[in-house]
Amino acid sequence: MASSWQPDFEQLVDEHQSMVFSLAYRMTGDRGLAEEVAQDVFLELDRNLRKIESPLHANHWLRRVAMSRSADALRRRRVRSMDMWVEIEEQHGAIFEERLSPLGSRVETLLATLPEAQRAALVLRYQEDLTPEEIATTLDAPLATVKSHLQRGLKLLRAKAATHLKEYVRGR
Amino acid sequence: MCVDVERIDDFERELRAAMHRLPAPPSLKRGLMARRRQERTERHGRLVWFERLAASLVLAGVAGGALVWRNAEEHRKGEEAKQQVFAALRITHHALEEMKAQLDERDTK
Repeated sequence: MASSWQPDFEQLVDEHQSMVFSLAYRMTGDRGLAEEVAQDVFLELDRNLRKIESPLHANHWLRRVAMSRSADALRRRRVRSMDMWVEIEEQHGAIFEERLSPLGSRVETLLATLPEAQRAALVLRYQEDLTPEEIATTLDAPLATVKSHLQRGLKLLRAKAATHLKEYVRGR
Repeated sequence: MCVDVERIDDFERELRAAMHRLPAPPSLKRGLMARRRQERTERHGRLVWFERLAASLVLAGVAGGALVWRNAEEHRKGEEAKQQVFAALRITHHALEEMKAQLDERDTK
Protein backbone atom coordinates (compact mmCIF):
# COMPACT_ATOMS: atom_id res chain seq x y z
CA MET A 1 0.00 0.00 0.00
CA ALA A 2 1.42 3.35 -1.03
CA SER A 3 2.14 5.84 1.77
CA SER A 4 -0.08 8.93 1.77
CA TRP A 5 2.40 10.96 3.83
CA GLN A 6 3.57 14.08 2.03
CA PRO A 7 6.75 15.56 3.53
CA ASP A 8 6.65 19.29 4.12
CA PHE A 9 10.17 20.71 4.21
CA GLU A 10 9.52 23.66 6.51
CA GLN A 11 7.55 21.53 8.92
CA LEU A 12 10.38 18.99 9.04
CA VAL A 13 12.85 21.81 9.74
CA ASP A 14 10.68 23.14 12.56
CA GLU A 15 10.28 19.69 14.07
CA HIS A 16 13.87 18.49 13.84
CA GLN A 17 16.16 21.53 13.86
CA SER A 18 16.73 21.26 17.59
CA MET A 19 17.76 17.59 17.32
CA VAL A 20 20.02 18.13 14.30
CA PHE A 21 21.63 21.25 15.76
CA SER A 22 22.22 19.61 19.15
CA LEU A 23 23.84 16.55 17.59
CA ALA A 24 26.07 18.69 15.39
CA TYR A 25 26.94 21.00 18.27
CA ARG A 26 27.86 18.20 20.66
CA MET A 27 29.91 16.46 17.98
CA THR A 28 31.79 19.51 16.70
CA GLY A 29 31.83 21.66 19.82
CA ASP A 30 31.46 24.75 17.67
CA ARG A 31 28.20 26.66 17.52
CA GLY A 32 28.87 28.28 14.12
CA LEU A 33 30.06 25.04 12.58
CA ALA A 34 27.10 23.16 14.06
CA GLU A 35 24.71 25.65 12.49
CA GLU A 36 26.43 25.24 9.12
CA VAL A 37 26.36 21.43 9.44
CA ALA A 38 22.66 21.50 10.37
CA GLN A 39 21.90 23.67 7.32
CA ASP A 40 23.87 21.29 5.10
CA VAL A 41 21.90 18.34 6.52
CA PHE A 42 18.54 20.03 5.82
CA LEU A 43 19.61 21.08 2.31
CA GLU A 44 20.55 17.44 1.66
CA LEU A 45 17.13 16.47 3.00
CA ASP A 46 15.54 18.94 0.57
CA ARG A 47 17.35 17.29 -2.33
CA ASN A 48 16.26 13.82 -1.15
CA LEU A 49 12.76 14.70 0.00
CA ARG A 50 11.09 12.36 -2.50
CA LYS A 51 12.89 9.39 -0.94
CA ILE A 52 11.53 10.08 2.55
CA GLU A 53 8.63 7.73 3.23
CA SER A 54 7.40 8.57 6.73
CA PRO A 55 7.99 10.89 9.71
CA LEU A 56 9.94 8.08 11.41
CA HIS A 57 12.08 7.65 8.32
CA ALA A 58 12.73 11.41 8.25
CA ASN A 59 13.79 11.33 11.92
CA HIS A 60 16.14 8.40 11.39
CA TRP A 61 17.51 9.86 8.14
CA LEU A 62 18.22 13.25 9.74
CA ARG A 63 19.91 11.69 12.77
CA ARG A 64 22.13 9.49 10.60
CA VAL A 65 23.11 12.26 8.17
CA ALA A 66 23.66 14.75 11.03
CA MET A 67 26.16 12.36 12.67
CA SER A 68 27.86 11.64 9.36
CA ARG A 69 28.16 15.31 8.32
CA SER A 70 29.37 16.27 11.80
CA ALA A 71 32.12 13.65 11.53
CA ASP A 72 33.06 15.05 8.10
CA ALA A 73 33.17 18.58 9.52
CA LEU A 74 35.34 17.40 12.42
CA ARG A 75 37.74 15.73 10.02
CA ARG A 76 38.04 18.98 8.05
CA ARG A 77 38.64 20.92 11.23
CA ARG A 78 41.10 18.44 12.78
CA VAL A 79 44.10 20.51 11.74
CA ARG A 80 42.81 23.19 14.08
CA SER A 81 42.08 20.78 16.92
CA MET A 82 44.31 22.44 19.48
CA ASP A 83 42.56 25.77 19.04
CA MET A 84 39.17 24.10 18.85
CA TRP A 85 39.30 22.53 22.28
CA VAL A 86 40.10 25.88 23.80
CA GLU A 87 37.05 27.30 21.98
CA ILE A 88 34.93 24.40 23.17
CA GLU A 89 35.91 24.99 26.77
CA GLU A 90 34.92 28.63 26.47
CA GLN A 91 31.75 28.15 24.43
CA HIS A 92 30.37 25.23 26.40
CA GLY A 93 30.98 27.07 29.61
CA ALA A 94 29.26 30.21 28.40
CA ILE A 95 26.21 28.52 26.93
CA PHE A 96 25.52 25.80 29.43
CA GLU A 97 26.05 27.83 32.54
CA GLU A 98 22.90 29.68 31.57
CA ARG A 99 20.71 26.61 31.26
CA LEU A 100 22.29 23.81 33.26
CA SER A 101 23.45 23.11 36.74
CA PRO A 102 27.19 23.68 37.25
CA LEU A 103 27.70 19.93 37.10
CA GLY A 104 25.68 19.71 33.87
CA SER A 105 27.82 22.30 32.12
CA ARG A 106 31.04 20.64 33.30
CA VAL A 107 29.90 17.19 32.21
CA GLU A 108 29.17 18.69 28.81
CA THR A 109 32.66 20.20 28.67
CA LEU A 110 34.25 16.88 29.65
CA LEU A 111 32.19 15.08 27.04
CA ALA A 112 33.76 17.27 24.36
CA THR A 113 37.22 15.94 25.29
CA LEU A 114 36.30 12.28 24.60
CA PRO A 115 37.41 10.49 21.42
CA GLU A 116 34.99 11.09 18.55
CA ALA A 117 33.58 7.55 18.34
CA GLN A 118 32.88 7.39 22.08
CA ARG A 119 31.36 10.86 22.06
CA ALA A 120 29.09 9.90 19.16
CA ALA A 121 27.85 6.80 20.98
CA LEU A 122 27.27 8.72 24.23
CA VAL A 123 25.50 11.62 22.51
CA LEU A 124 23.10 9.25 20.77
CA ARG A 125 22.60 7.29 23.99
CA TYR A 126 21.98 10.18 26.36
CA GLN A 127 20.67 12.97 24.12
CA GLU A 128 18.56 10.86 21.77
CA ASP A 129 17.87 8.05 24.24
CA LEU A 130 18.69 5.39 21.64
CA THR A 131 19.40 1.74 22.43
CA PRO A 132 22.83 0.33 21.48
CA GLU A 133 21.15 -1.47 18.55
CA GLU A 134 19.67 1.80 17.26
CA ILE A 135 23.02 3.55 17.71
CA ALA A 136 24.73 0.79 15.72
CA THR A 137 22.20 1.27 12.90
CA THR A 138 22.56 5.07 12.98
CA LEU A 139 26.36 4.99 12.93
CA ASP A 140 26.48 2.00 10.60
CA ALA A 141 28.81 0.26 13.07
CA PRO A 142 28.87 -3.25 14.59
CA LEU A 143 26.83 -3.59 17.78
CA ALA A 144 29.82 -4.90 19.76
CA THR A 145 31.85 -1.83 18.76
CA VAL A 146 29.06 0.50 19.83
CA LYS A 147 28.71 -1.26 23.20
CA SER A 148 32.46 -1.01 23.69
CA HIS A 149 32.43 2.73 22.84
CA LEU A 150 29.56 3.27 25.26
CA GLN A 151 31.31 1.43 28.10
CA ARG A 152 34.70 2.99 27.51
CA GLY A 153 33.25 6.44 26.94
CA LEU A 154 31.22 6.31 30.12
CA LYS A 155 34.18 5.00 32.09
CA LEU A 156 36.48 7.70 30.73
CA LEU A 157 33.89 10.38 31.35
CA ARG A 158 33.38 9.16 34.89
CA ALA A 159 37.13 9.16 35.49
CA LYS A 160 37.42 12.70 34.14
CA ALA A 161 34.47 13.75 36.26
CA ALA A 162 36.08 12.25 39.36
CA THR A 163 39.20 14.30 38.69
CA HIS A 164 37.62 17.55 37.59
CA LEU A 165 34.39 17.51 39.57
CA LYS A 166 35.68 16.51 42.99
CA GLU A 167 33.31 18.80 44.80
CA TYR A 168 30.36 17.06 43.15
CA VAL A 169 31.62 13.56 43.97
CA ARG A 170 32.36 14.54 47.55
CA GLY A 171 29.04 16.31 47.79
CA ARG A 172 27.20 13.08 47.01
CA MET B 1 28.87 -1.58 46.31
CA CYS B 2 25.36 -0.19 46.54
CA VAL B 3 26.80 3.26 46.89
CA ASP B 4 28.78 2.76 43.66
CA VAL B 5 25.69 1.65 41.76
CA GLU B 6 23.78 4.63 43.10
CA ARG B 7 26.61 6.93 42.05
CA ILE B 8 26.62 5.45 38.56
CA ASP B 9 22.90 5.97 38.29
CA ASP B 10 23.25 9.54 39.52
CA PHE B 11 26.04 10.18 37.07
CA GLU B 12 24.09 8.78 34.12
CA ARG B 13 21.00 10.67 35.19
CA GLU B 14 23.00 13.87 35.39
CA LEU B 15 24.50 13.09 32.00
CA ARG B 16 21.06 12.58 30.50
CA ALA B 17 19.82 15.82 32.07
CA ALA B 18 22.87 17.71 30.81
CA MET B 19 22.39 16.41 27.31
CA HIS B 20 18.84 17.47 26.55
CA ARG B 21 18.26 18.89 23.07
CA LEU B 22 19.27 22.51 22.72
CA PRO B 23 17.02 25.04 21.02
CA ALA B 24 18.30 25.81 17.54
CA PRO B 25 19.29 29.44 17.01
CA PRO B 26 16.76 31.41 14.90
CA SER B 27 19.55 32.19 12.44
CA LEU B 28 19.69 28.48 11.54
CA LYS B 29 16.31 28.38 9.83
CA ARG B 30 16.68 31.88 8.43
CA GLY B 31 20.05 31.03 6.89
CA LEU B 32 18.80 27.65 5.74
CA MET B 33 15.83 29.08 3.88
CA ALA B 34 18.07 31.71 2.26
CA ARG B 35 20.56 29.03 1.17
CA ARG B 36 17.67 26.88 -0.09
CA ARG B 37 16.32 29.77 -2.18
CA GLN B 38 19.79 30.45 -3.56
CA GLU B 39 20.34 26.77 -4.33
CA ARG B 40 16.98 26.56 -6.12
CA THR B 41 17.74 29.71 -8.11
CA GLU B 42 21.12 28.27 -9.12
CA ARG B 43 19.51 24.93 -9.94
CA HIS B 44 16.86 26.74 -12.01
CA GLY B 45 19.62 28.77 -13.71
CA ARG B 46 21.50 25.57 -14.52
CA LEU B 47 18.28 24.05 -15.88
CA VAL B 48 17.63 27.07 -18.09
CA TRP B 49 21.24 26.99 -19.29
CA PHE B 50 20.90 23.26 -20.03
CA GLU B 51 17.62 23.84 -21.89
CA ARG B 52 19.24 26.58 -23.97
CA LEU B 53 22.20 24.34 -24.70
CA ALA B 54 19.87 21.49 -25.71
CA ALA B 55 17.82 23.84 -27.92
CA SER B 56 21.02 25.17 -29.52
CA LEU B 57 22.23 21.62 -30.18
CA VAL B 58 18.89 20.70 -31.75
CA LEU B 59 18.95 23.85 -33.92
CA ALA B 60 22.55 23.18 -34.95
CA GLY B 61 21.59 19.59 -35.77
CA VAL B 62 18.62 20.69 -37.85
CA ALA B 63 20.67 23.36 -39.67
CA GLY B 64 23.52 20.92 -40.27
CA GLY B 65 21.09 18.27 -41.49
CA ALA B 66 19.47 20.77 -43.86
CA LEU B 67 22.88 21.77 -45.21
CA VAL B 68 23.88 18.15 -45.76
CA TRP B 69 20.51 17.42 -47.41
CA ARG B 70 20.87 20.46 -49.71
CA ASN B 71 24.40 19.44 -50.73
CA ALA B 72 23.24 15.87 -51.38
CA GLU B 73 20.28 17.16 -53.38
CA GLU B 74 22.51 19.47 -55.49
CA HIS B 75 24.92 16.59 -56.04
CA ARG B 76 22.02 14.34 -57.11
CA LYS B 77 20.66 17.01 -59.49
CA GLY B 78 24.15 17.55 -60.93
CA GLU B 79 24.54 13.82 -61.49
CA GLU B 80 21.12 13.71 -63.13
CA ALA B 81 22.04 16.63 -65.45
CA LYS B 82 25.35 14.95 -66.27
CA GLN B 83 23.58 11.72 -67.16
CA GLN B 84 21.16 13.69 -69.38
CA VAL B 85 24.07 15.38 -71.18
CA PHE B 86 25.75 11.97 -71.63
CA ALA B 87 22.50 10.56 -72.99
CA ALA B 88 22.19 13.51 -75.41
CA LEU B 89 25.79 13.04 -76.50
CA ARG B 90 25.22 9.31 -77.00
CA ILE B 91 22.13 10.05 -79.15
CA THR B 92 24.04 12.69 -81.15
CA HIS B 93 26.98 10.34 -81.55
CA HIS B 94 24.63 7.60 -82.75
CA ALA B 95 22.92 10.00 -85.25
CA LEU B 96 26.28 11.17 -86.58
CA GLU B 97 27.46 7.58 -86.92
CA GLU B 98 24.30 6.79 -88.94
CA MET B 99 24.77 9.85 -91.14
CA LYS B 100 28.44 8.94 -91.70
CA ALA B 101 27.42 5.40 -92.61
CA GLN B 102 24.84 6.72 -95.14
CA LEU B 103 27.41 9.11 -96.64
CA ASP B 104 30.01 6.34 -96.89
CA GLU B 105 27.42 4.10 -98.58
CA ARG B 106 26.54 6.86 -101.12
CA ASP B 107 30.21 7.52 -101.84
CA THR B 108 30.85 3.84 -102.65
CA LYS B 109 27.94 3.85 -105.12
